[in-house]
Amino acid sequence: MVMRTRAAWLPWALPAIVLVTVFFLAPFLLNVRFAFSSWTSFRAEITWNGLENVRTLIDQDLLANAVTVTVLYAILCMAIQNTVSLSLALALQRTSGINTVFRSAFFLPTLISPLAAGYIWRGLLAPDGAVNSFLGIEWAWLGEPSTALVVVAFIDAWKWSGLITLVYIAGLNSIPKSLLESATVDGAGPWTRFRRVVFPMLAPALTFNVAVTLVGALSAYDVIAATTGGGPGDHTRALNVVMRQQWGQGFFGSASALGFTVTLLVIATAVPLVWWLRRREVTG
Amino acid sequence: MRAPSRLLGAAIGAVLALSLSGCGSSAPEGTGQVKLTLWHNSADPAPLLEMYKKFEKQSGHKIELVSIPSDGFEDTTQTKWATGDRPDILEYHATASGLLALNPAANLRDLTGEAYIARSGDLYQAAGSVNGKVYAAITGFPQVFGLYYNKKVFTAAGLTPPTNFAELAAACPKLKAAGVTPVFESGGSIWPVQILPILYLAGANQSNAYGKAIAGHSSTLADAGSPFVSGLTAYAKLKADGCFNKDIVTAKFEDSMKALVTGKAAMVAQHSDMLPALLAAAGGDQKTVDESVGFVGLSSDKPLVTYAPGPIGTFYLPKTGDAAREKASLDFVRFMTGPAYAEYITASKTFPVLKDVPDPQGVPAVLQDVKKAYDTGAVIAFNSDIPGMGGLAQLMSELIAGQKDPQKAATQLQGQVEQAAKAAGLPGW
Repeated sequence: MVMRTRAAWLPWALPAIVLVTVFFLAPFLLNVRFAFSSWTSFRAEITWNGLENVRTLIDQDLLANAVTVTVLYAILCMAIQNTVSLSLALALQRTSGINTVFRSAFFLPTLISPLAAGYIWRGLLAPDGAVNSFLGIEWAWLGEPSTALVVVAFIDAWKWSGLITLVYIAGLNSIPKSLLESATVDGAGPWTRFRRVVFPMLAPALTFNVAVTLVGALSAYDVIAATTGGGPGDHTRALNVVMRQQWGQGFFGSASALGFTVTLLVIATAVPLVWWLRRREVTG
Repeated sequence: MRAPSRLLGAAIGAVLALSLSGCGSSAPEGTGQVKLTLWHNSADPAPLLEMYKKFEKQSGHKIELVSIPSDGFEDTTQTKWATGDRPDILEYHATASGLLALNPAANLRDLTGEAYIARSGDLYQAAGSVNGKVYAAITGFPQVFGLYYNKKVFTAAGLTPPTNFAELAAACPKLKAAGVTPVFESGGSIWPVQILPILYLAGANQSNAYGKAIAGHSSTLADAGSPFVSGLTAYAKLKADGCFNKDIVTAKFEDSMKALVTGKAAMVAQHSDMLPALLAAAGGDQKTVDESVGFVGLSSDKPLVTYAPGPIGTFYLPKTGDAAREKASLDFVRFMTGPAYAEYITASKTFPVLKDVPDPQGVPAVLQDVKKAYDTGAVIAFNSDIPGMGGLAQLMSELIAGQKDPQKAATQLQGQVEQAAKAAGLPGW
């Protein structure tokens, strides 16, 4: 019986297994050694140097800040995107002409390149840009330490919320109407219906969206590069931004160590998170 | 069945043979003509691109241009280089720090002894060479760093352009009182904010003394009261005194050019290869640029310009192992530095680096100012020979944001220099 079940799913899973192995697992396993090597552009020899790259990054005040910025950015992106997208999904759940127009409009930024999105917003948010003209204020949104990281997280949310909204809409539409009707008959108001019926039933969509937004933001680079380049100072200098800078200076070993750190962060965050959310789907 | 299989085998064999012959860049045997790959900076001016075509026409070889964006040029080149990919000709920085990052002994062909070197004066003492071996063919006039200033603004304020940091600090309040931004800095482009501290250090770097001391590890950037710490301190004081534009963190270098030309700003620290950007900011009107913009040298205490050989027109020949292509790429270098060089100088209206080539006619007034300042007193940028200085611009961003003080920034940069110098195996580390 077990054999038959395995035989049944294997052909369907095989393409995914092959793709993940060839494009993710194998490159990761083949490259992880470089994080512990003396690889630079300055010489041909690559030798094992243990944790020297990590020590160097710590000595140069680069690692701790980059990890802090990355984690903060990921939490912000995840929170903003899921809040905005869930609200939009609730507003646009019903399939109608006008809602289809709005769904398309909110989905459009997903199709734009992240770099292009970053450049567009950098122009809009410049001190003499359209946003300040509209608000009648003078504020360097991307140049002030207090706002830069949050603003970049909002730009990322603007870019991806359309996609996350669609997932929530699909989740909302899969909730049986009879369940909501029963709750209404039992006297539940809109808020209680949402809290007690809708939100728990959205658990699979929530698991997917939280995991995707968090993991995506942990490996952030493009929007940050296009908007702040890591500045002001090092306030938006996420791990991948530092990795690019190290790489550009020829310190390939240190850059690999930073890449490895991103991988560790993703594994350390995503695995327990998905495990907890999946468990919540069952028990909740 | 057997016949079709044989046919299929033959067809596959033929396709493979054709594909393999296409893998090499060599053209059909016997013609001696090959296809050369040239990684070049996207900012190459039109006259230089024209020279590539002229070489193709004269030699019969083909040049496949691979354009590397000038924004992020070093990063992108390093990324491609790190994969092991090698062009036949590489356009890249001539500074020792840039050259060391290519691991020249292992990867580049030694051009020592080529005729153009003897015609270049002492250029290769300061650039394009490592351990006495010349790897570069430099055809472009060095980037000359100094202070662009708006003549009309200074005349209106009754001031003369500053040539040292004390004069610069003194001019600030007067220019501010006149409603002008004294110095426009472009932190949004990151790299321009390192120029002023580098200019400051020209005073301490005559004959490249300071650069050699740092590269040779007899001094460190972070020594108490070091010229580098003093330069950063002077910069921080200018910022504290309100000498810079309010949007220093977000402004791009194009904004600085526009502010200078329009007179919104009095000064911008930049280099001579930015003249096309200056012209673009003036809407392509050379007359406006000539009438409104001048150029002077500036250092801690005297009027000195800082120079650094730039990437535009600096060529290297990576080792490829293909004899035909290596011969053709050497022909390219000989073409660029041979009789055709005078044509290039005439067309590009820049100054020659090879002796016996006359200066071009019709050089814009600002560029003449640059040349005059260069001839009066020029010092090589102190960071030219020091590997690991790529982090300076990032540290300046932190200094501007108030996250680092000069001493701490110097200590951190010294760590990066040490990391690179050890990796490069420099003597003294």
